[in-house]
Amino acid sequence: MLDRAPRETQDEATRPVAFRGGGFTPSAGRTSGWIALILVIALWQLAGSAGWVNALFLPPPSAIVVAIYKLALSGALWQHLSWSIMRIGSGWILGTIAGVIVGFGVGLSTLARGVGITFISALFPIPKIALLPLLILWLGIGEEPKIATIALGVFFSTAISVYSGVDAVPRNLIRMAQSFNVPFHSIVRRVIWPGALPSILAGFRITASVALLLVVSAEMIGAQYGIGAFVLQAGNLMQTDQLLAGVVILSVFGLVVGKGINLLETRLLHWR
Amino acid sequence: MTGFARLALAALLAVAAGGIARADDVLKAKIGVLRLSSSAPVFIAQDKGYFREAGLDVELKFFDAAQPIAVATTSGDVDFGVTAFTAGLYNLAGKGTLKVIGGMSREKAGYPLIGYFASNNAYAAGLKAPKDLAGKRIAVTQVGSSFHYSLGLLADKYGFKLADIKVLPLQSLSNAAAALKGETVDAALLPVSTARSLMDSGGAKFLGWVGDETPWQLGAVFASPKTLTNAALVTKLLGALVRADREYNDVVLASVKDGKAAINDNTKPMLEIIAKYTILPLEQVVGNCAYIDPDGKLDVRNVANQISWLQEQGFVDKGFGVDAIIAREYVKAD
Repeated sequence: MLDRAPRETQDEATRPVAFRGGGFTPSAGRTSGWIALILVIALWQLAGSAGWVNALFLPPPSAIVVAIYKLALSGALWQHLSWSIMRIGSGWILGTIAGVIVGFGVGLSTLARGVGITFISALFPIPKIALLPLLILWLGIGEEPKIATIALGVFFSTAISVYSGVDAVPRNLIRMAQSFNVPFHSIVRRVIWPGALPSILAGFRITASVALLLVVSAEMIGAQYGIGAFVLQAGNLMQTDQLLAGVVILSVFGLVVGKGINLLETRLLHWR
Repeated sequence: MTGFARLALAALLAVAAGGIARADDVLKAKIGVLRLSSSAPVFIAQDKGYFREAGLDVELKFFDAAQPIAVATTSGDVDFGVTAFTAGLYNLAGKGTLKVIGGMSREKAGYPLIGYFASNNAYAAGLKAPKDLAGKRIAVTQVGSSFHYSLGLLADKYGFKLADIKVLPLQSLSNAAAALKGETVDAALLPVSTARSLMDSGGAKFLGWVGDETPWQLGAVFASPKTLTNAALVTKLLGALVRADREYNDVVLASVKDGKAAINDNTKPMLEIIAKYTILPLEQVVGNCAYIDPDGKLDVRNVANQISWLQEQGFVDKGFGVDAIIAREYVKAD
């Protein structure tokens, strides 16, 4: 009995088996995404050209391209883009700086944690758009309320992702640095900052999209130029082709920002 | 067995015939309206049963902005729409998805609807009358809205350029009111209902009414081309509306003095109907009575002017005129 058992296992072990443990490794194919995109656009165009759907309800891609081309030709596109980039950029930078500072504070100090988390939880879910009349009363209708709307939206997401990043830094690394009597500012700079960076950058990916989302509500406040103002005006005037043109510009903008953050990640996180 | 089959057949026929007969008798229709007094005749015709007497089973669908009514009419969610003209409505109509079939509210001298209001600082600095608005910063809700067009008419009347005014679209009435109260704009165009609370609290100064400066055709009744193929339905609906238009004129508008309707035994029942549908207290309804032509006529020349103005400004696609969007067989022009 005893000497038969290992023999049986040996028999099985000698049976050749193909390698099974490959895991699921979805790799981003170079072509499949583009082919799917082109197929969807082709179908959409066909539906429009063949008259299956009313061009008013769903303008075909060709109409959207024409609308963008006309916009670029008239020079208004650059005006809209530069105003929006200015607002998104300054709002995002302000919100991010404040969010990183508050996030580190909440992650490192007991007092800041108690106060900060309470306020973040209380204020984060307020829809910024509901505050527009108040923002107008406080800040007028110049650039300040528009930038403030974006900065507010960016601030909360950044603060949350920064303090969860700080919390996730392995405790033993911090304790070791403390045991070696490394000064506090060095621990923050050399241990906590790099340790929290992956989650901070993941937060940037979200806040960049939040800033793009909020530019439309920000430009509700008396903006004459800006992609958000353009989308709103097209919606008000029921110019659906121009509306979708604005949406396409916004999503291209989102793609570009996403690529930029990819680049930043490979630069800053090369040690991973 | 045959007896039972005969009975069943007879019953089936009776039901079918009944169905047909009912479809002949009562035509169903859905009307999209705003809860504003500028749609008063629709409420009166519904409440006093004028639609029912004309053989219509009307259901009112309430919206909170003018634009969605035009969109809902286009998409067939409502059969008729009653609301103000907007650039969006003309853009839809220009694509042939809806047509105007009758007139509704108008800006007219003596009947306050939209007003020009100045901020306290701008008023103190010399903005005292609508003609002083040239060169000022003025809040409106949206570009191409009734408010924007009213400013364009004012510019034409006093011979200044609209480009001299800085028009600031703030997307909603509450935003525009906040900007005026916060002194970040010099003036704003607001409907009387929004402006009243602002004036009472000392947040703004009254400059004048659009109706007194530049009368124009504000609202209309419109329908989709599919609805227009049912001539009996359209004729009956317009007939019931004109009956209500006339009664509203004879009773309510005839009593308007200094912009306010009188509350007496004669007017009260009708004012109460308007109060019920607009969900406003009676005291506010009397100061907010839109002028509506007693015959439901449409100021076609003004509509043509609106279209060409909006086309010049680039808010409405070029290439169509007033004739393309009006159902001439139904519209009574003046």
